[in-house]
Amino acid sequence: MTFEGGPDPNLSPNRHHQHHVMDWLEDSVSFLSSFLDDSYAGNTADQITSYEWWTQEEDQANMIHNPLVSTLATSNNSPLLPQAEFSKKRKLSTNPTTPNKTPTHQNRQRIAIEGDGGFEEEGEANKKPAATGRKNQGKGNAGSSSNGVSKEVRWAEQLLNPCAAAIEAANISRVRHLFCVLQELQSFSGDANHRLAAHGLRALSNHISAAGIAIPNRGETPAATFATTEPKLFRSAIIKFHEVSPWFAFPSSLANASILQTLTLDPSRHARSLHVVDIGVSHGVQWPTLLDALARRPGGAPKLVRLAVAGGAAPPGPFSVAPPGYDFQSHLLRYARSIDLNLRIDHTEDLGAGSVALTVGETLVVCVQFRAGHGRADDRTAFLRSIRELEPDLVVLSEIDGGGGGEVGFPAGFARNAELLWTFLDSTSAAFKGRDSGERRVMEGEAARFLETAASEGRDMWRERMATMGFREEAFGEEALDAGKALLRKYDGNWEMKAAPAEAAVGLWWKGHPVSFCSLWKPHRRN
Amino acid sequence: MEVAMEEAVAPSGCSSTTTTMDDDFICAWNDWNPAVDWGSFSSVADDFHELIESMMCPDAVDSPDGLMSVSQTPSYNSSPSSMATSADTPAEEDARAGGGHDGDDKGLRLVHLLVAAAEALAGPHKSPELARVILVRLKELVSQAGAGAGVGGTSIERLTLHFTDALQGLLDGGTSAHCGGRNSFRDGHLHHHTSDVLTAFQLLQDMSPYIKFGHFTANQAILEETRGDRRIHIIDYDIAEGVQWASLLQALVSRPGGSQPPHLRITAVTRGGSRAMRETGRLLAAFAASVGQPFSFSQCRLDADEQFRPAGVKVVKGETLVMNCVLHPTMNNTRSGSASSVASFLLGAVELGAKVVTLVEEEEQEQYEEKGFVRRFMGELHRYSAVWDSLEAGFPMQGKARGMVERVILAPRIAGAVGRAYRDSKEEETDGGWGKWMAVMGFGRVTISCFNHCQAKLLLGLFNDGYRVEEDGSNNLVLGWKSRRLLAASVWKPPLSPPPPCPPSPIRVGIVTPDGLTNSFEDSDFVSD
Repeated sequence: MTFEGGPDPNLSPNRHHQHHVMDWLEDSVSFLSSFLDDSYAGNTADQITSYEWWTQEEDQANMIHNPLVSTLATSNNSPLLPQAEFSKKRKLSTNPTTPNKTPTHQNRQRIAIEGDGGFEEEGEANKKPAATGRKNQGKGNAGSSSNGVSKEVRWAEQLLNPCAAAIEAANISRVRHLFCVLQELQSFSGDANHRLAAHGLRALSNHISAAGIAIPNRGETPAATFATTEPKLFRSAIIKFHEVSPWFAFPSSLANASILQTLTLDPSRHARSLHVVDIGVSHGVQWPTLLDALARRPGGAPKLVRLAVAGGAAPPGPFSVAPPGYDFQSHLLRYARSIDLNLRIDHTEDLGAGSVALTVGETLVVCVQFRAGHGRADDRTAFLRSIRELEPDLVVLSEIDGGGGGEVGFPAGFARNAELLWTFLDSTSAAFKGRDSGERRVMEGEAARFLETAASEGRDMWRERMATMGFREEAFGEEALDAGKALLRKYDGNWEMKAAPAEAAVGLWWKGHPVSFCSLWKPHRRN
Repeated sequence: MEVAMEEAVAPSGCSSTTTTMDDDFICAWNDWNPAVDWGSFSSVADDFHELIESMMCPDAVDSPDGLMSVSQTPSYNSSPSSMATSADTPAEEDARAGGGHDGDDKGLRLVHLLVAAAEALAGPHKSPELARVILVRLKELVSQAGAGAGVGGTSIERLTLHFTDALQGLLDGGTSAHCGGRNSFRDGHLHHHTSDVLTAFQLLQDMSPYIKFGHFTANQAILEETRGDRRIHIIDYDIAEGVQWASLLQALVSRPGGSQPPHLRITAVTRGGSRAMRETGRLLAAFAASVGQPFSFSQCRLDADEQFRPAGVKVVKGETLVMNCVLHPTMNNTRSGSASSVASFLLGAVELGAKVVTLVEEEEQEQYEEKGFVRRFMGELHRYSAVWDSLEAGFPMQGKARGMVERVILAPRIAGAVGRAYRDSKEEETDGGWGKWMAVMGFGRVTISCFNHCQAKLLLGLFNDGYRVEEDGSNNLVLGWKSRRLLAASVWKPPLSPPPPCPPSPIRVGIVTPDGLTNSFEDSDFVSD
């Protein structure tokens, strides 16, 4: 990984820090879990470069194979410019320095390919994910239109959903028929449809065997999950996934930026301790960039950063469980030492005031990512109440945006989960460039647990619920939004950030459909 | 003796003078009529599991069965020309026999996939993409087994291959598969060399009674109903290459009584081009002349809507009118017509005052839960699996010969049947078959004679024990394979007055003139009396 030149004066220290991040990661040189908000850290170039290192090959391939490659690589698409400058230029679209002004990095520039949308056909995304990656960038409706086509190519759901309906109707022979067909078409290494068939078949099989119905199964291998994965592969998988997909990296980035913002907006907090309660699915991957940013804050690092890992406080769900033997604490602590940050890590299984040792004067942030939507309704309510009782300064809530609300029956819930899993598999096809790998299998195997959960609710339901709990919603700061936007450019062009003017929450969309949302909450305090 | 006809038209048994013509007939012969009536499958419950279970029979037959192996048919062995093309390939047979339980399991998987592909093409959850994926998988499975070219693999793998190709034809034809089905058939049919087609037809004639059962039963009924009549006029809805009438001509000459044989006129109903028809007429006339049978041949075109116009038939006063309707399950869509076309022909019998109507057909099975195309598709799968089973049971060691019959004759028929099922399912459904329809329309039943019944049994006796003939109603003989009904031949008498209009076809009111001479009709091409 090299970075040549650039206007950023903080380049050298940043490279130094980057080096330590690599230390923490040990064997994954290409990793960067999240995107630092440069308005705080002032230098994102290395991180961008690391993504660029990953994508370079692809763009060159495009240049070689596509004669229509244009030289219109605008700086709007250039990741090499520092973020603050970038966001300004975006507003000033007439900026004369924008086009064709980055000759020294030509081989790393985004290449806009004229008319590329016209070449894409149904199913192309699966066959040639590398070629479709990011090309739609900047085209507002490209994602939506391709999604309209993809509905027709989603054949796996056309077997799985009728099968779920047949199970509900106790039509055993129909179930048997569809099982047989699914068994013929399933594959963990095929395109997204084949993989959805494989995971869906296992989920349905589990569902009916739980109901005491036996359907002959021909030697199915179980899918890999987090809990059953060897720790080294597990870590490699989550790191790689953050690198190639914004599924978790985007909410992490928004969360980190918002935590930093909370400290910045209140200068009195500068010297105070920061206490982050981590109830998420990142398994540590989210934090190096936050620590790095904290260490380099203009006002100085907090005197103490406490990270309370409280994974057990919420009912378990997909991505929540790490395999036995996986430990990120020691790595994180070592990294903190290397950047002279005073970090303390605690573990707690619940959010009782006694468990989360609160200190007077500290800034308390509860970071809840993809963990609040599982378990029974009572459990979920109790969980949110326990957060409210901590009287945190900020709550970051990220969840899957299922678009629906309330309880639905098995077939409808299954169909919604299958659609969610389709989105995941479709996006990982693009993220991994269609290549089968151990890492992809681990992530997808864990994602398949979506099929065993209750259907995800929509963000409106969450807003209502949080309000009921005594929270009020906060808007994201502009810097956080810019960071999110910049981050997303590193990924496949079908990803979009949606921040509706009327809504405080920020959405992450894939091919024109919502995937997740990220929101900020503060307790209502009676004065 | 009517059974003697069978020997006379068999290619291997002919004298040198008639062999050429018979070969021509057989070469162009296109008249194989396995009809289906799955009435005996009333136990089929909620879906097609019965189908799948019955599909397993072809493999089950592999197990040594004393009775079946004893009944190696002499007709096969008496045909040296066939023998030459059907050398055994022991390795292939071994592979098939070695399939064992895995083979059953695989057959089950194949059938599930076939039905799923049909569902994806036309079912409630229509998805061309899913159909495409399933067909890809099917091809993988059969080519793994070496059945890719339609020669290797087990019976069910070869059957699957042909049905897969048929579905692929529909898929490639797009949503307007109306043309796709036809084209795919034609292409498939044209792929084969004429000599292959000839050989394959000979093989099928020798291997199964499907062809002769319908012809013999209808002909015997015609002979009985026209006994003593001096002029017989047969209007044939789908004459094909006229094989059916070669045997009737012979029977007329050899009628007991010693008197001069009656004059036979055949009017072939055509649509579109009549060139092939003229050739058929020429061959029939030549054959009639060779056996000394007074004979003439004419044609009558269907109109642009494929409706039969009784006024277009030249009817001579005093002749006995017979209507013959052999409905093919074939791809030969230019001849076997739509439901309304068939209805117009059958109702024409009322207007023309035909003495007897003979009908050979397959009946729609109604035991499946599925609707439309999927139901019809399963019916075809069921039917052809029975055909496969019967051929394999009769000729377990002649895998190569069977493969040829399947590839050259049956595969195009499957393509046609599937294509037709697809198109028809978009149109009206004729449930219950034409026999039922005729009964509703007031046609009377003409009892099938004991002699006719016995003749059918004698015919079947030449083949495997698995064939059955049974009476279903006094006027209906059904050819079956084991418990499956393949083909129904029935005999009817038109009602005296025209019946009321009734779907699926409105009655076309035409003017019947007793002698028909003033009406337009096609010239009689060949007259040999």
